[in-house]
Amino acid sequence: MKEIFYILFLCMGFGQVIYSQTDNITTLENVYLKSVRIKDSAYTTNVTILSDSVLRQNQASLTNLLNYNSTVYFKENGLGMVSSPSFRGTTASQTAVLWNGININSQTTGQTDFNTINIRGYNKIEVKPGGSSVADGSGAIGGTINLVNQLEYDAGFNNELFFNYGEFNTHGLDYRTSYSSKKLSLMLGVARNGSDNNYPYPETERINSNGHYQNTNISFAASSKLDSKNTLKVFANVYKGRRNFSVPTPNALKTKYTDFNTRSLIEWERVLGKFVSNLKVATTTEEYRYFGNIASDFYTTATVNSLIAKYGLDYAFSNNMLFSLGANYTRNDGQGSDIQAETRNLAAAIVSFKHKISKSVLYEISLRQEANAAYGSPLLYSAGMSVQLTSFYQLKLNTSKNYRIPTYNDLYWQGLGNPNLKPEVSYQGEISNNFKIKNASLSVTAYYNSVKNLLHWIPGSDGIFRPENTNQVQIYGLESILNLERKIDSHLFSLSATYAYTISENSKTQKQLIYVPFHKLTASVGYGFKNFSAYYQYLNNGEVFTTTDNATEHILNSYMVANLGAEYALGKQKKYKLGVQVLNLWDEAYESVQNRPMPGRNFNFYINLIF
Amino acid sequence: MRNPFYKIGSFLLLLSFFAVSCTSDDRETPKEETPLSGDYAQGIFILNEGGFGYSNASVSFLDAAGQIYNSIYSNVNSTNLGDTAQSMGFEGDNAYIVVNNSSTIEVVNRNSFQHIATVSNMIVNPRYIVFKGNKGYISNWGDPNNVNDDYLAVLNLETNLVEAKISVVEGPEKLLVYNGKIYVAHKGGYGYGNTISVIDMASQSLLASIPVADVPNGMVIKNGFLYVISSGKPSYTQDETLAKLFRINLENNNVENVLTFPQGKHPEHLELDNEALFYVMDNSVYTISLSDFQLSQNPFFEPTSDGVELLYGFKVNQGNIYIADAKDYVSNGEVFIYNLAGDLQEKHTVQIIPNSFYFNN
Repeated sequence: MKEIFYILFLCMGFGQVIYSQTDNITTLENVYLKSVRIKDSAYTTNVTILSDSVLRQNQASLTNLLNYNSTVYFKENGLGMVSSPSFRGTTASQTAVLWNGININSQTTGQTDFNTINIRGYNKIEVKPGGSSVADGSGAIGGTINLVNQLEYDAGFNNELFFNYGEFNTHGLDYRTSYSSKKLSLMLGVARNGSDNNYPYPETERINSNGHYQNTNISFAASSKLDSKNTLKVFANVYKGRRNFSVPTPNALKTKYTDFNTRSLIEWERVLGKFVSNLKVATTTEEYRYFGNIASDFYTTATVNSLIAKYGLDYAFSNNMLFSLGANYTRNDGQGSDIQAETRNLAAAIVSFKHKISKSVLYEISLRQEANAAYGSPLLYSAGMSVQLTSFYQLKLNTSKNYRIPTYNDLYWQGLGNPNLKPEVSYQGEISNNFKIKNASLSVTAYYNSVKNLLHWIPGSDGIFRPENTNQVQIYGLESILNLERKIDSHLFSLSATYAYTISENSKTQKQLIYVPFHKLTASVGYGFKNFSAYYQYLNNGEVFTTTDNATEHILNSYMVANLGAEYALGKQKKYKLGVQVLNLWDEAYESVQNRPMPGRNFNFYINLIF
Repeated sequence: MRNPFYKIGSFLLLLSFFAVSCTSDDRETPKEETPLSGDYAQGIFILNEGGFGYSNASVSFLDAAGQIYNSIYSNVNSTNLGDTAQSMGFEGDNAYIVVNNSSTIEVVNRNSFQHIATVSNMIVNPRYIVFKGNKGYISNWGDPNNVNDDYLAVLNLETNLVEAKISVVEGPEKLLVYNGKIYVAHKGGYGYGNTISVIDMASQSLLASIPVADVPNGMVIKNGFLYVISSGKPSYTQDETLAKLFRINLENNNVENVLTFPQGKHPEHLELDNEALFYVMDNSVYTISLSDFQLSQNPFFEPTSDGVELLYGFKVNQGNIYIADAKDYVSNGEVFIYNLAGDLQEKHTVQIIPNSFYFNN
């Protein structure tokens, strides 16, 4: 049974691991394209993996990591404040964030605030563009971000300490300890980050007032091979964050916000001849408190507790054919100051078939039937094909139907929510062209996405916002990822770049959605020599409209930001590292949200010890 | 190894350089010229409140020749006006712009729009301003979630400093000065008010509190009578109440007449022209004569037929009706000017969420 995974894995091989993991050089040679495990997702779309060493060299927020290393666009209300993504031109709640495969988007807002995810809690992050509701459920329309705790076996006892300190009292402390034998693997991590965040606004007299934040993340993962056929895994995560929201104008009333989220997951995998069965049971809790006046104890809040169960059964007809059945169940219990207490139950059944016709051709078809009368029980699908046309060129085709159910706020906001809202539906198609030669790879993907029943809060005739289902959006664009690596003697050079061109239009008005740039470009250049390495990160976000009429006077200008970092590893085994970073090297004055300036040039250093 | 990879790679690089060179610096932004006369002495200021939290409030100016000039505050002063401009008032040579979410009052010369001072001390969530003598009186919500910290700030117009607070009940909104008193409509902050406070200016103390229906939204005074339109609580409060129009005798603060609107109707924006009141309901304009004081079943006219999407600002002045259309709150608004027969005379594109009109002449 194992070999079918192995063979499929190899045969899909393009763009798997482009580079071996050389630890002494920069971030991005470790960004490689990879097919995901067969039980989770499609072979006919691309996935980018951000590995542990990439995570280390970026700032601790998920916003920062993805901003510089992926095509995902972010609008951030000033550094560390509320941050929402637009993946492939979609809205903030159309990106699914998964934690070890479990959807953790807020049930109240439908989105994840990417500044409330501390990446130090994970050692691998997968970025999967495009719809994947069949595998990942509601909200996986623009793309999916999976936060992974990956465990290894037979590595003994390891400790790792990471400490960084920078201007504005920005600090991070991350300790990770792990033990693994041949059959057991354990990992515990504690990460704490904070900043006074009182940076001066470039080219003005003002400073970022009331921007202080701090958060703590505790993560635990364990895996045990009970016997040759059974594996049991346990994951747990606790996040507690507190942010003051920086004031838009100096004399405005100061506010603050706290988050408390917990997640736990048990996974049991069992091999029975040609069958592999996988059961996941997870519980999550989310709670926020918003204090409209920092000096007062009054706050508004909402909490949602969820239970998620996923069962999958794979059957291998032969080495070239795999049939899978799955069942999902989700239960949400939510309540809050402005939402009435409600429980909802969602269930779905999944069927999928993957067939490798020849050495170079594979196709896959998956269906997902939702069983929830309240949302019309849509049938979702994903179908695709992958062809290795030449040794260096691979073509992938994929089409899918995806959806997003209305959030607690949309449905149950007191007096304004609408329990009769329909789910958003998205029809997509994409073509990926993957090129690979010895030291380089390039992928170019063209896609089309039609979103119907867009959930949107719009003012009615009384001027009050209410959720509606009326808009349609047409999105199409191009996505490209380039990786190069060259070694000359003991000098290692690498280049990694992403580029996205995005048209995302309201079908009725033919206007580009606000805060969706036409262009986004990232690039990273690395150099390594013996114990020394350096890297240069570059981000260029194109201009965005901030008004729905696309009025030119309200355009938020494009900006280019660059970071420069250098690292020196001590000792033969390079276990002790010292690094310095210059963030916003060129001291660019920029905003990612109107009138919310980001910091100018600032300095940061770190120490990473493995013992 | 020669292969298509390099071609595609260089194409991608070219594309990215294109992306780089195509930055905003190349974009032509519309120039906002100032009026030929160089001043703003004759014309209408239109306040665009901007999106809450986005610090993009602005002022547009419509000159006597019918030419519109946008963003005059930032053009003259090279700085942003602030976050959510709520209202404006004139006194002497100055205009006072009440910037709600900035918690500031920006003082400018009413003819040049040159900035003079920013009032920020003892100002929290300011709403409206009135004047008497060398004092300005500003309604403030304070912390909108706290029902006990609302007040009128007393502004010294010579120092531009707030020198006193007059505590009032929750949600002081519109203000009127009449006969040595300030009439304060308590529309409610995040809650819902239902009174009119009467403040004695000399002693800066509360003289009386006149009960009205929920959410007193507009007030005018004519011939010794105070007319108050209460919108009632809207349905989304899950405690909907009836809207009412009051006629109150200011001799004794007695309600002389009250008209009740049908259930589910929530009028706003009370304005006066000679012998008639005007108000707005469901994006339509209604009128009521002071002499017979009876509610009309039918709208006087319906600006939606001229393209008004969201009637957000409303003013009647010297034979014209001015309507501000906020659209969807995230695009440039428009102003529509009608004559008193309800015929559209002019319309102009302004900035984000126009909410009120001020006449400089």
